[in-house]
Amino acid sequence: MNITLVMCSLLIGGALAWYAEGFKAQSARWLALLTVLVVGLYFVISITATGLDFSSLQVLVRLSWIDSFNIEYALALDYLSIVLVLLTLFLAIICILVSWQEIQTKTGFYYFNLLASFAGVIGVFTAVDMFLFFFFWEVMLLPMTALIAIWGHENKHFAAIKFFIFTQVSGLLMLVAIIAMASIHFQQTEQVSFFYQDWLTLDLPASISFYLMLGFFIAFAVKLPSVPVHSWLPDAHTQAPTAGSVLLAGVLLKTGAYGLIRFVIHLFPQASMDFAPVAATLGVVSILYGAKMAFAQQDFKRLVAYSSISHMGFVMLALFSFNAIAYQGAVLTLVAHGLSSAALFALAGMVYSRIHSRDLSNMGGFWQSAPRMGGFALAFTAAAFGLPGLANFVAEFFSLVGAYQRFPLMTILAAFGLVGSAIYGMVLFQSAFQGKEQGKRQGESKGQHQKGENKINDLSKRELLVFSSLLALLIIIGFYPNLVLTFFQDSDLRLAITSTAGGQ
Amino acid sequence: MTQLMLQSLSPLLIIAFGSVLSLLLIAWRRSQKMILTFTLAIFVCALLASISLVMNLTDEVQVTILMKVDNYGNFAFILILVASIAVGLLSSTWLTHSVEVHDEFFILLQLVVLGAGVLVMSDHFAALFLGFELLSIALVGMVGYSRDSQYSVESSFKYLILSASASSFMLLGIAFIYSQSGSLSFAVEAEPIYSFFYSSGILLFLVGVAFKLSLAPFHLWTPDVYQGAPTPVTLLLATVSKIAMFVVLMKFWFSQSSLIVNNDSVLSTLHLISILAILSMLIGNVLALKQQNIKRLLAYSSIAHMGYLLIVLMIISPQSVTLAWQSALFYLAAYVLATVSLFIVLQFTEYNHEDIEQNINDWQGMFWKNRLLALLIIVAILSLAGIPLTAGFIGKFYLLNVAVQAQQWWLIAALIVGSGIGLFYYLRIVFTLFSDVSEEKNSSLIYPAVGAKLTPMMSISVIVFILAGIILGVYPDLLSQVF
Repeated sequence: MNITLVMCSLLIGGALAWYAEGFKAQSARWLALLTVLVVGLYFVISITATGLDFSSLQVLVRLSWIDSFNIEYALALDYLSIVLVLLTLFLAIICILVSWQEIQTKTGFYYFNLLASFAGVIGVFTAVDMFLFFFFWEVMLLPMTALIAIWGHENKHFAAIKFFIFTQVSGLLMLVAIIAMASIHFQQTEQVSFFYQDWLTLDLPASISFYLMLGFFIAFAVKLPSVPVHSWLPDAHTQAPTAGSVLLAGVLLKTGAYGLIRFVIHLFPQASMDFAPVAATLGVVSILYGAKMAFAQQDFKRLVAYSSISHMGFVMLALFSFNAIAYQGAVLTLVAHGLSSAALFALAGMVYSRIHSRDLSNMGGFWQSAPRMGGFALAFTAAAFGLPGLANFVAEFFSLVGAYQRFPLMTILAAFGLVGSAIYGMVLFQSAFQGKEQGKRQGESKGQHQKGENKINDLSKRELLVFSSLLALLIIIGFYPNLVLTFFQDSDLRLAITSTAGGQ
Repeated sequence: MTQLMLQSLSPLLIIAFGSVLSLLLIAWRRSQKMILTFTLAIFVCALLASISLVMNLTDEVQVTILMKVDNYGNFAFILILVASIAVGLLSSTWLTHSVEVHDEFFILLQLVVLGAGVLVMSDHFAALFLGFELLSIALVGMVGYSRDSQYSVESSFKYLILSASASSFMLLGIAFIYSQSGSLSFAVEAEPIYSFFYSSGILLFLVGVAFKLSLAPFHLWTPDVYQGAPTPVTLLLATVSKIAMFVVLMKFWFSQSSLIVNNDSVLSTLHLISILAILSMLIGNVLALKQQNIKRLLAYSSIAHMGYLLIVLMIISPQSVTLAWQSALFYLAAYVLATVSLFIVLQFTEYNHEDIEQNINDWQGMFWKNRLLALLIIVAILSLAGIPLTAGFIGKFYLLNVAVQAQQWWLIAALIVGSGIGLFYYLRIVFTLFSDVSEEKNSSLIYPAVGAKLTPMMSISVIVFILAGIILGVYPDLLSQVF
């Protein structure tokens, strides 16, 4: 099992795609797709082939890197990271497929950036040296920012700068916390260490650990994103190209949740316990605020972006309830939301490619001309508002059931978020696919359509493939959530959480 | 003078002897090519001598009462020499478009390097002042060197007057310190009685240094002089003069820090330094936000960088001094690397489009036309912004380590806010490189410099700088094992 190989081949594949595009147009996308497929296959095969027990963290590589600070190059995997890496690789294929026609300029460099950000994300999910983690955490921002800033829409520079500054500044807070942890390790053991598993053994004084926890928490809350540090997300989503949005919603937001699970809760159990009411409140506020704001949007992508804030609120609430069921719900929400929001952003991209607008008032009546697209859209909005039978339902149900045991009142409030999501989901679907055909104005001004008609082309084979694979996964997980959950039945994490919860 | 002393002083001696020889060379024959080659040869010899010194020197060597040669100073001198070689090469392209022969320019350059060398080796106020004046006076000549240019008088006068007042402040401060400690050496053996005079002496001394380092609120000259001076000279100001002043400040500070801790009234000096640092970080970054001219922008960002660097002075426990030195030198190395990279591009585009005023927009769309040069800018800018993968990030990591050890949470907060603000203008430059020229109206033909071809020599050096910026960011041990 060689994660380094996975990351390197993604990078090299990206570089090759960039290089090849110079010789033969449109070779980049094939190369990129091929790279991701091969890498994904390799990952799946080698995971199943190794006999390691991933229910606890298995360190795969550990080399010394920067001796002056005793920094190591250390990668590890457990079921949590495996699930997230698999999600990443799957969405990588989706990303490449949705950009197939959309990206027409500077194509080679585009695919390089896309693959580089996937490599960075995989690094984030596997690094267990904290310096290395921070390194990947920041490095994955660079290609993502480039994706927004070069191939984005009208206001791309603003959105890219906002995205970068939010994550970078919060990242510096985390860096300070990381350095402080290393120096505490030095005080206690006479040796500097950035190794995650060394830190687990530290005995942290309560007064300091609260501030350290806060440093990590802010960085991850920005990425998640949680109210009040969410404001970069709608802008970044709206301006990013389709694949950028899919990548952001499907994968990058998950790094925040992953950080909360792996680092905040594990490294500072007591401090996060004390902080839990605040964090849970933030989660509930995000759920309700996100749902309310989503309802108020006229922009297709902005609406989905706010709905992401709402769904990520469930993750926050569930994680800070310190309950095994809620934790399983949170992990499932990560997967389910990764798939369903990726689908909705892909849908937004396909609509945009047909009518060159994201404005809901320019849409309407698409069902007449594109029934297949309409059907998928209905299924995905249903997934977003948690229709039973789809993955999101199980995920949110578990989260709420678990959270109820710790925060009954807040969970009741959070459940209203489900009602809200049904409302904005229906608003989205109705205004785009039902009602009168409203394309006249748009059609005339843009000259995209013939006068008086609002016909759009139905899904192409490629788009059909994207949607059906996403929907199939949503349904499979919805009916058989154990596919994901078995890995988290008796993980050490659950034990750790319940034991600390019980100890209180 | 023993063999060892002579050996450890050899880099300085090479420069001093070389500048005398250059004077003779000018008297013999005036040829710009010759003097350039000779200057570069001197620098390279001194560089080799310094490198061999760093390899072999195990302990610090006291050379007379005036100087102390140690590896920190040596490393700083290597940085100075590298920057000066870059300055020499850049000025050769700049000086060619004039009929006159500019031999004097190179002599001044050698004197600046000599002054900087004296500063980084000094262990005594007399050596400090000697080096300081040698550096300043030669720089005044260089700042106003292109006398036909619009800004040359303004900027050289500004620089002259302000560095003269800075040195008088400094002298007064030195006198006050001497009146209390009774010694001009940095290291004071006896425990003198400290009083108001000692702390005000340190205060005045700091004011003098702060002028040179252009720390807020003594930064007002920086943008004008940066903009007005010829590009290679600006590079000299931004690198050589700052490295030398900062290193000598550290030498003084850490020699007397044990006294400073014991002295109550001097503790306020620490507060003063943190105020200077916070002001510089914030003011430098905020004022850089709206700049269009690249040199002015770099001037403001250098104010902020010197503010970050002041954090290392907050270390007062003797066992952490090594960390402070390592951090400062690494940060300086990353800063010099990034600054030299940017000035290479600046000189190249300026040379190709004959306009002295260089705005950020002149670099528009460079990534699509001249990928190598644009990559160099990106690496340099990201390094200045402290983004991982580049040397600047490791520098910032070192500084944060120092700050956490010294428990200076306010400074950390200012550093975070400052770098957040800094990202605005750094990213603006990077985005300009990527912006599509064809999107903008009729701007495609105005800036041919962006697409100008690089000579093979130039391409190689650009690649070297890109690699250096990234390698030091990914594998910093290469550098940090030196000191």
